[in-house]
Formats: sequence, C-alpha cells, structure tokens
Amino acid sequence: MRELPIDDPGEPPEGGPWRFLAWMAARHAPALAAVTVWSLCGMVAQALMPAALGRAIDEGVTAREGGELLRWAAVLLGLGVLLAVARLLEHRASVAAWLGVAYRTVQLVARQAGRLGDTLARRISAGEVLAVGTNDVTRIGDLSEVAGRAVGSALSIVVVTVVLLGIDVRLGLVLLVGVPLVLALSGPLLAPIHRRQSERRDLTGTMTATASDIVAGLRVLRGIGGEELFERRFRAESQRVRGAGTRAGRAESWLNAAALLFPGLLLTLVTWMGARYAASGQITVGQLVTCYGYAAFLVTPLWVLGEAASALTKGHVAARRVSHVLGMTPDHPGAGTLPPTGGELADEGSGLRVRPGVLTAVVAGPEAGPLADRITGYTDDGGVCYGGVPLPELAGLRRRVLLTTNEDTLFTGPLAAELLPGDDAARRAAAVRAACAEDVVAEAGGLDRGRVAEAGREFSGGQRQRLRLARALAAEPEVLVLVEPTSAVDAHTEARIAGRLAAHRAGRTTVVFTSSPLVLAEADHVVHVRGGKVVAEGGHTELLAEAPDYRAAVTRGRE
Amino acid sequence: MKLPVARGAQVKAYARRLVLRYPGPLARTVALHALATASGLTVPWLFAQLVADPGRRIDAVAAAIAAFVVLQALLTRAAFAASAALGERVLADLREEFVARALRLPLSTVERAGTGDLLARSSRDVDLLEEAVRDAVPQVLVSAVTVLFTGVALALTAPPLLLPVLAVVPLLWLSTRWYLRRALRGYLTEEERFAQLLDGFTETVTGARTVAALGREEQRARAADDAIRASWTAEKYTLGLRQRWYPVLELSYALPVVGTLLFGGFLYLDGHASLAQVTAATLYVQQLGYPLSVLLMRLDEFQLGAASLARLLGVADVPPDRSPTGAEPSDARLSAREVRYAYADRDVLHGVDLDLRPGETLAVVGPSGAGKSTLGRLLAGIDGPRAGRVTLGEVPLTDLPLDTLRHRIALVTQEHHVFRTTLRENLTLVRDAPDEELRAALDVVGWAGPGLDEVVGSGGHTLSPAQAQQVALARLVLADPHTLVLDEATSLLDPGAARALERSLGAVLRGRTVVAIAHRLHTAHDADRVAVVEDGRVTELGTHDELVARGGSYADLWSTWTR
Repeated sequence: MRELPIDDPGEPPEGGPWRFLAWMAARHAPALAAVTVWSLCGMVAQALMPAALGRAIDEGVTAREGGELLRWAAVLLGLGVLLAVARLLEHRASVAAWLGVAYRTVQLVARQAGRLGDTLARRISAGEVLAVGTNDVTRIGDLSEVAGRAVGSALSIVVVTVVLLGIDVRLGLVLLVGVPLVLALSGPLLAPIHRRQSERRDLTGTMTATASDIVAGLRVLRGIGGEELFERRFRAESQRVRGAGTRAGRAESWLNAAALLFPGLLLTLVTWMGARYAASGQITVGQLVTCYGYAAFLVTPLWVLGEAASALTKGHVAARRVSHVLGMTPDHPGAGTLPPTGGELADEGSGLRVRPGVLTAVVAGPEAGPLADRITGYTDDGGVCYGGVPLPELAGLRRRVLLTTNEDTLFTGPLAAELLPGDDAARRAAAVRAACAEDVVAEAGGLDRGRVAEAGREFSGGQRQRLRLARALAAEPEVLVLVEPTSAVDAHTEARIAGRLAAHRAGRTTVVFTSSPLVLAEADHVVHVRGGKVVAEGGHTELLAEAPDYRAAVTRGRE
Repeated sequence: MKLPVARGAQVKAYARRLVLRYPGPLARTVALHALATASGLTVPWLFAQLVADPGRRIDAVAAAIAAFVVLQALLTRAAFAASAALGERVLADLREEFVARALRLPLSTVERAGTGDLLARSSRDVDLLEEAVRDAVPQVLVSAVTVLFTGVALALTAPPLLLPVLAVVPLLWLSTRWYLRRALRGYLTEEERFAQLLDGFTETVTGARTVAALGREEQRARAADDAIRASWTAEKYTLGLRQRWYPVLELSYALPVVGTLLFGGFLYLDGHASLAQVTAATLYVQQLGYPLSVLLMRLDEFQLGAASLARLLGVADVPPDRSPTGAEPSDARLSAREVRYAYADRDVLHGVDLDLRPGETLAVVGPSGAGKSTLGRLLAGIDGPRAGRVTLGEVPLTDLPLDTLRHRIALVTQEHHVFRTTLRENLTLVRDAPDEELRAALDVVGWAGPGLDEVVGSGGHTLSPAQAQQVALARLVLADPHTLVLDEATSLLDPGAARALERSLGAVLRGRTVVAIAHRLHTAHDADRVAVVEDGRVTELGTHDELVARGGSYADLWSTWTR
C-alpha cells in the first residue's frame, strides 16, 4: 500500500465533474483496479460455491462416491479460502482508494483556497464552502469505494449468466432478461427515496444548526433566560425531523422489500423451470442445486449496483462543487510584473496619499473597512498606485502590502508557527512585544509549547486582536495596513500598543485606521476622511486645534 | 475545560430504559422482522423438498415458494417501516434530552468551558448515534433473527449436522473478543483525527483570504498534509486489526459448510440421513455466513455508538455550582469581602474589598489581565470566590437559586450571541413582552437595524458586531435587574455611538446599580465612582475628579487619553 499523503496532488483538468472524477480515477487506478479484480474474484468464488456444492451432491452423495465427495469438498474449501483472501485484499484496496481520493481532494482544495484567497468567498456562499469540508470529501471517497465493487459485481453477473447458459440455455436466457428487468423495476423506487432522504437531510441540517445555535448562545440563555423557549423550538424541529425520518424510512423499506421480491421471484422462476427439467431428466439434481445457488447469489451483486447508483448521484453533486472550486481563477491573479519605483501609496479616488516610511493614521469612521480594502487592492475600482504602479500591475502585491482586519481568521495549530512560520524566534518575540501580547502568549503556554485551539475561540476578543496584530507585525511587510487594531483592548494596553507599534514599524510604511486618540497621538501624519474624500490632514494636535470636524470625531474625554 | 463523560454502567442503564420505553412498537418490530425472516427461510426448505423428490408436485411447490417470497417482501417492508418509526422516536428522545441537559448546565461551567466540546457533542456524537440507530440497529436485528432461525431450522432438519457449526463457535468468540478489545480505541482515534483533518481544512477554506494575505499557502498545505498523515496512521491501525480478524471470520463461515457437507454426506452414505436433509442442512449452513458477518462486523459500531452516548449523557454529570439555601437577600446591597480567586492554583484576585452603593455606577478600569473580568463574574454570581464572600443583602450569591439571581443581577460581556431566529424572539427569550415594549427597549439602545419580524443570526440577516451588542443590551433593558455588570459591553460600537448608548441606557436604568468594566475612559468619566484594578487588587477607588486630583495611575491614564 502506498503511504499517504502523497507529496503533490497534481493538477486536475478543467471541464466539469465527470472530467474531474475521471482524472481522479486515473490517479488511483491501481487501487480501483485492485478493488474491481478482487471483488470480482470474491463474487465468482461465492457464485461457484453452489456449483461445487451441486457437484458434491451429484457426484459424491447421490452417486455414493466417497472419493468424489472429498474432492468436491476440497474444492469448496478452496473456494472458501479464495473468498477470504479476495475479500481481504478487496477491503485493503477499497480503504486505500477511499482514503487516497478523499485525502487528495482535501489537498487539492486546500491548495486552491490559498491560491484563490478572497476570491473564494466572493464566488461561493459560506454554506457551500462548509459543505466541501463536511460532505463532499466523504461523498467522493464513497463513490470511489463503491465504483470498483460495482464493476466487479456487474462482471460477476455476466460470469454467472454465462455459466448458467452452459448448463441450460433457457435458464441462462431467463437471467439474461431477468436481471436487467429487476434493475429496471427497482430503479423507479430510487427517486422517491432520494426525495425523502433529502427532505430529512434538509430538516436535520436546520435542526443541527439550531442545536449549534443553542450551544453557542448557551451563556446568554443561562445568563439571562430563555431556556424553555429554545428547548421548545428544538423539540419542535426534532419532531419534524422525526416525521421526515419516519417517511424516509418508509420509502427505504419499499426498496428493502423490492430487493427481496424481484430477485426472489427470479429465483422462483429459475427453480421452477430447473425442477421441471430435472424431473424430465434434462438436467441433474446437482445442476438444479447449482441453478438455485446462482440465482440466489444474484441478490448480492444486484444490491451493490443499487448502492452504486445512489453513491454516483451524491458523488456527482460533490464532484461538481469541488471541480467548480478547483476551476476558479483568482480575481486578482497577482500576476503583475512591474516593480514599484518608490514607496508612496496613492489613492486617486479619495485623495489619500500614504508617505513612505512613516506611520499614517486615518480617521474614517464607518468608511474605514471599504477604504482599506480599496487601497490594498481587494476591490478593483482602479486608481490606486504603489510606487507609481497601479496595484493590478504591481509585482508581488500581496507580499508587499498586508491588510489586517478584525475579521481575519486565526488558525488552529502551534502558536509560534501561527505568528510566524520558520525559526526566527527573535523576530517573533519582538512582534509579540510590540502587540503587547506577552500575557496572551504566556496564557496559551508560551511560544515554545503554546497552541491556538479551536481557531482562537478560547481567547477573548481583545486577546485575538492582539494575536492578529502580532502576526501582522511579524510578517514585516513593506506596507502594513491595520483596521481598528486596538478596538477591543483596555486603555492602558492601547496606550502601550500605540507606542510600541510606532517604534516597531519605525522607518517602514504603516497605515492605521483608527479613532483612538492614544494611537492618533503616536502617528507621524493624520488624515481625516469623510464622504470618501480627504477633508483634513496634518498632525494630531494640529488637527485638534484647527479642524472642528476632526475634533468631534475623535475627542473622547471632554464634552 | 472538558465536560465529563458518563460511565459504562450509566450508559447501559440509559440504553436499557430507552429500548424499553416503547414496549409495544418494539415488540411489533421484532415480531415483524422475525416473521419476515421465517418466511424467507421456508424457501430453501421448500427447495430441498423439490431436490429430494423432483417429480413431486413441482408447480405447487414453486407456487408456494413464490407465495413465501411475496410474503417475506411484504413483511420486510412492514418490519423496516416499523423499525424506522421506532428508531426515529428513540433518536428524537435522545437528542431532545441531550439539549435539555445542556440547557441545564451550571452557569459557571457554561461560562468557563467554551463551546467547542459541547458543540462537538451536539453535532458529531448525535450524528454518529443517528447512523448507528438508522443503519446498524435494524441490520443487527435482522441478522440476529436470521442467525437464530437458521440455527433452529438446521437443528430441526438434522440435529447432528449442528456439530460442524458449533465447532467454530469458540474460534469466532475468541477472535471477536480480541478484535473488540482493541477496536473501540482505534475507531475513536480514527474519528477524532478525521474530524481534525476536516476542521483544519474548513478553516483553510473559510479563511482563504487570510491565508493568501499572509502568504501562508505552503504552511496551510503542510498543515493539511500533517493532518492527513495523522489520520492515515490511525486508519492503518484499524485496518491492521481488521486484516487479522476478517480472514478468521471468513474461514469460520467456510469451514462449517465443508464440514456439514462431508459429515452429512457420510451420514447419508451410511444411511443415517436423507438426501433432502443433507441438501437443506448444507444450504442452511451456507446461508448462516452472511447474516453472521453482518452481525459481528456491526458490533464495533455499537461500541462507537455507546462511546457517543457516554459523551451525550456525561453532560448531565456536571455537579451543580450553587446550592440554594432558601435565604432571601435583605436588600440590594452588593459587596465583596476579602475576595480571592484562582485559575489553576494561581490567584488572580488577592483579597478584594468592594461595597456597591445601591443605584450608583461604578467604573472598573485597569490593564488587561489585572482581574477585572474575574471580579465582574464574581460580582454577577457566576462563580463563587476561592476565599472571602460576595453577598447580596448579606446572602452569598452562590446560595441564591439561579432564577432569583438572574432577575436581580445580570452580566453582559463582549461575547455576544444572536440566535438564528426573529429579532423578536431574540428579545422575548428574556420574558414575553408586547411589541411596544420591545420597540421601546430597542429605542433605548439606538436600534437602526432590521425590524422585529426579520430573521437574524447566521443564515438570516447578518448583524454587525455592534448591532449584536445592541441586541444584548436591549435584552438587559427587558430583563430589568437591579444590578448590572457590564464587561466591555459597548466596546464594539464606535466611540460616539457607545457613549450615546451608555447615556440612554443610564436614563432607563436610573436607580439601578451598574458595574461597568470598560477600557474607554469616558465611561469612567461619566460614572459615580471609579475603581482601578491592578494585579488582582483594587488600588484606587473614588470619583473621577478625586482620582485625577490624586495624581495616581488613573490620573496618568486620563492624561494620556485626553492629550
């Protein structure tokens, strides 16, 4: 078995779910082929057992030949051993196929997410993004597992039909007509089942969301009340799921019945014909036992084919979403080639000009977020240049200009690597100090052993904010743009951060969107933006004295 | 902090109660499965009659076979429908009881434990149990009945031919025991690692913007690969277990078939058995294999289900955090005496004394990590102190029943939650109130968001963090406790709005005692008194003007703030 994960998941082709699935199948061809071969071997061994049994009864028991009986018993035992070996190897191969395909999907989508960046969230909804992780990976795995077995099953049906044709053409023909008929008759049952199952899945989704909602808001409910209200709500949704589940179960029960009925009637037909031929001496009793055994065996491969049909439907939906994500191209490919010829970041639209090498504070109130996105190239209205080069044409935009907001994700994992990958411990520690996050780091277990658990949910809002700041500072970009980096910390800490931030970024270009006088007081240059335009700029003290609008926007203490 | 997990005996007792809760439907389900299996088993028996005497009434026997096939199908339909109805009922009970238990968790546990563990239980463990109940239970039921009936049929057909089957029972027993002893831990690890893999993957995908902004593509790809490696190791372990167990199982099915054929064959040759007996017995033994393997291979799912159930039940095992004594507070005076509090053996409060005057607003300021939030939680009665007392009208807060406590003292922190429902229900969870009253409460907090009938929260109209904070404060207005502890409750609003909100809140809450933990000093400026908490102690206490005049650390801070 190949060790996993593989180093390079490769480049899947564009062109939709089928091409994606075919490409995936080609990458895992050895495992899939092994599943097919071994499941075929297992099924044939299983199918041949009745034949061996029939011969044993014919040539051993009925003919009263002890030697023949022993011989056919040995054949039977051999088939049993073959079946055991085949099942074992099939299982190994199908585990390898399932995991290989699921892991490769994870690798592909994780790498593509990094390439797409902000484009991903703009193109598909958060719910769909989540579905990739919760459903699609396992669905594609399921499909790959069942595909090999389905091929093996189909082949085993062919083998059995051919063998039966050899015993008696009429009996063989019955199977030849009967098997497709059984499949055709069971097919129409699948649609209502899928409808019921999707009804149950949707309601379950809503109910699970309510349960998560209750758990996430438990401190509110326990702190201020409302337990009864939400318990009633959950019960009502749970009972709706129960109703849908019961209906889905009822629909599935028809399939269970059909899976017995149609092959059972086929079996009855073969038995009846076989018995008549045996009575008239056209076939032997042993051959009759064989025919019965073959027909009875068919239940298994027919069942696998039914299973495969439903895995294919679900896997196709999953593959469509995954191949859609994999086929996306970033809105801002970052393929610019021009190096900047200076360090000024200038926005024509608002008139904001960020001077190189100094700390600029921007007071923009609720306009801060959109303006920050604009000057860092996340929205492409044009008119923003860095070092004289328009952002889309700039070489290495994302490496040069870093935007950090309070919505940025913290990732679960070792704290040190989250702050700064690599082993520059001094640089990391300096950033932690500048962000006044020493206590957060200590609480999490220190830089050597600390971890970010559950995407940082265990930290308070202020602690998360300081970790994000430390992470941004440690990256040491040419231009750092921060949006309200101190909105959730106390005044003492805010004052310290303001001072240390200025010192840490000394000589480098930094833009802070803020309304905190503590931060503004540390800035080299302050810009006031209102209605999308720069309305005043200068030093903090100077603006306080000369610009009444500015004073109103930032003054906190006095009336 | 992790929540407890129930013990094995508790799980067994609960499962027993759950199964026996609906005796009627249970009996009907089992009976239907049994009848369906029985009619299925007549087919090989009838077939054996044909083999024994091919000339005998072939048409009648074939018709009988067809009839039993139809009967088996119909009974199977009814049996699966009945077991689905019963299973869904049991599942509904299970999850509803879990949510009810979660909703009764002690307040201090809820505040401290974080939601991760509980969230995992409410989604993953409930899912796992649903799978077990929907798939494993009916299949095991059918298989068990089939095995039992086939065994009985075999015994009735030819008692001596039971011997080859019984011979492999010890082999099956020992190998299965060997496997099950190792399987549970292996599958739990496997589940956990796979869940971690998907969680990390989901973080990468939802945080794609951050990944690209920081140039962490390679790091995230490596993290995914590491998680895959961990998952793969766990998968290989359980695969190894199965690789050793499955061949033993397979041979345990094949050997008795050969044994029965040989034994039966030689009995026939010696004239001790009929051809029909030998044929039927061999077919029966062959038919045992499939249901037996289903039965055994599903056993580990039962173990997994039991582990999930243990985690769901464990939620009820958290000891209560308060023991109401029935004492009634004599007045609304809140005071702390010599209060100490420790996290993991390290005291974060070193003897705090504080007397709140009814109706005053006390601002608490101080650096991060000084113990302000801890003090707030003690004053709100969420936790009890390690030493010292926090009392309301001479009664320790933890001696009050939760309902009494929260009608008198409320805590609002910066962690807010907006429920996925209408804005109205987000407010009426406090208490039922007419729309006019709800609108009035929203007016107090300066609400400019969606209307009362709008669905808010994730999946609905998304509220900004500032709006979520306003909703939390509107709830507080409705709850109308006499004492409020606000821990950075307006920190997410922009400074102007925060100040306006605090003023209008102040108007509504006139006469209420307010403890306001805040980092924005205008809150302190507007308060009646200010307490400075540094390093677990109250170091300064007085009015804003007194403290500014004193020239201590508050005065320092104030001058920085307003320069």
